[in-house]
Amino acid sequence: MPSRRRTLLKVIILGDSGVGKTSLMNQYVNKKFSNQYKATIGADFLTKEVQFEDRLFTLQIWDTAGQERFQSLGVAFYRGADCCVLVYDVNSMKSFENLNNWREEFLIQASPSDPENFPFVLIGNKVDVDDGNSRVVSEKKAKAWCASKGNIPYFETSAKVGTNVEEAFQCIAKDALKSGEEEELYLPDTIDVGTSNQQRSTGCEC
Amino acid sequence: MDEEYEVIVLGTGLKECILSGLLSVDGVKVLHMDRNDYYGGESTSLNLNQLWKKFRGEEKAPEHLGASRDYNVDMMPKFMMGNGKLVRTLIHTDVTKYLSFKAVDGSYVFVKGKVQKVPATPMEALKSSLMGIFEKRRAGKFFSFVQEYDEKDPKTHDGMDLTRVTTKELIAKYGLDGNTIDFIGHAVALHTNDQHLDQPAFDTVMRMKLYAESLARFQGTSPYIYPLYGLGELPQAFARLSAVYGGTYMLNKPECKVEFDEGGKVIGVTSEGETAKCKKIVCDPSYLPNKVRKIGRVARAIAIMSHPIPNTNDSHSVQVIIPQKQLARKSDMYVFCCSYSHNVAPKGKFIAFVSTDAETDNPQTELKPGTDLLGPVDEIFFDMYDRYEPVNEPELDNCFISTSYDATTHFETTVADVLNMYTLITGKQLDLSVDLSAASAAEE
Repeated sequence: MPSRRRTLLKVIILGDSGVGKTSLMNQYVNKKFSNQYKATIGADFLTKEVQFEDRLFTLQIWDTAGQERFQSLGVAFYRGADCCVLVYDVNSMKSFENLNNWREEFLIQASPSDPENFPFVLIGNKVDVDDGNSRVVSEKKAKAWCASKGNIPYFETSAKVGTNVEEAFQCIAKDALKSGEEEELYLPDTIDVGTSNQQRSTGCEC
Repeated sequence: MDEEYEVIVLGTGLKECILSGLLSVDGVKVLHMDRNDYYGGESTSLNLNQLWKKFRGEEKAPEHLGASRDYNVDMMPKFMMGNGKLVRTLIHTDVTKYLSFKAVDGSYVFVKGKVQKVPATPMEALKSSLMGIFEKRRAGKFFSFVQEYDEKDPKTHDGMDLTRVTTKELIAKYGLDGNTIDFIGHAVALHTNDQHLDQPAFDTVMRMKLYAESLARFQGTSPYIYPLYGLGELPQAFARLSAVYGGTYMLNKPECKVEFDEGGKVIGVTSEGETAKCKKIVCDPSYLPNKVRKIGRVARAIAIMSHPIPNTNDSHSVQVIIPQKQLARKSDMYVFCCSYSHNVAPKGKFIAFVSTDAETDNPQTELKPGTDLLGPVDEIFFDMYDRYEPVNEPELDNCFISTSYDATTHFETTVADVLNMYTLITGKQLDLSVDLSAASAAEE
């Protein structure tokens, strides 16, 4: 079957519980922030239209839905990702130290065809906390980690106040697009089983 | 893990994951655990290395078979009926957004020593080589009757009360011969044996209607659909639904030990020295072996091939049902094939399965009529597994145990068990008809 031109790009966000993955997604897509922390409930994937060089793409950003808390993400979550976003909390050394585990877990589960060049983006979140006074991971240390992993892009953000979130996701979208275009995926024709929403919507229109 | 939940689910088989998803959407606080480090339990899909490890010990798979990750080999091969209960459950829960499906290319039956396409409509019956010219007209009339039959409209009943008239009597009225009865009963109504012939005909007619509706649903060449990347996607999709609604997931939890109070009621689960409390347990039979009994065994073969199953018109996905009578057996044998076109194998490779309720101790010999249909194989594995059903009283111990998967190549029995368990656990009936009404409205 001929491969179909990519218009949907899948981005997954990985990192320890509580580093702000869901908040980053919501800030980018919905311009919202919630101070109420619960281990993620209700977050799934969000989509956003992005435009590059007169072409429109749908960025599909997948949250872990809380399954990362006890290392229980399935292989289906990882499959087909065009870019992997790693998130740590600049106020938590443990979340930074676990980045190696998350990156390796991704490479094992997703098995990208070109692991050396697969696009990762690192985000250090919560730079707003305590006006930066409780920060324990220096920017220098984080950049050194990025350099050691093939010079992956690095952004320091605050999902709460919106610092650098747009910039980070612009880079993510660009890398996902580049990755998605290079991948000659075998995309079989699929059928539309239909969602409840579609059915109800169509029903109402009758 | 030392926390309190309403329901703890053990094992991430498809049944357990559907229940976990449904309960979480209902607002129930769910903890879901599995001893394995992957989803799916007995109903998972394995990559090549996992397959080799399971069936060949620690061997690494031969390199000429391709990359391990390109394989998603189902351990419980089944197709989904297009209008069946599983599709309705997927639509009801909106889990379809995590999955992609393809229509299955072919549905065949082994009759009179040949693999033949299954007709399911009057039009198809007339074209079929399964029947002679006069039999075709009789079968066409029978299919028309089934198609028009409406439980609520007596004019469509042709003077018969299908809750009393047996299937045998109904078929005799149309004068159908033995081979026609065989393919209708087994490949259209999907009965697993011939006991249905002496039962009221209503069930058989409704099953035939489901087959025809499923065929029409996606305008395919068969009534079945199948997910890309194999059936292991289904438990993961429902698990994600549960997680999105607050379910907690813990894979790789060995020795999940269910704890009971002095009265025999469940109070929690202990694993790795920590105990989570709960009011109810949902699990597959392997987690509470003392509360289940053996109800049979399934013999199965799994083959890796480089070609489609012969005589199936080069189908990349196909089911062949061998009715019991064609083999002088007590129950049917099922042949199932999928391929790289469903992303379950590398380019050019096909995965075939043969399964049946075991009647001997030798799966290789017993499955020979099915494996003979496959043609040459690159690799083949034989296996036997036990089936269990619960014997406990859930109202006494609050343990809700699923029944093991059967040998059939469809999911209707699987989802029926899930829906029954859901009602036992919650006291509620799941209404799956709303979406079908919406679907019908869409079609009008």
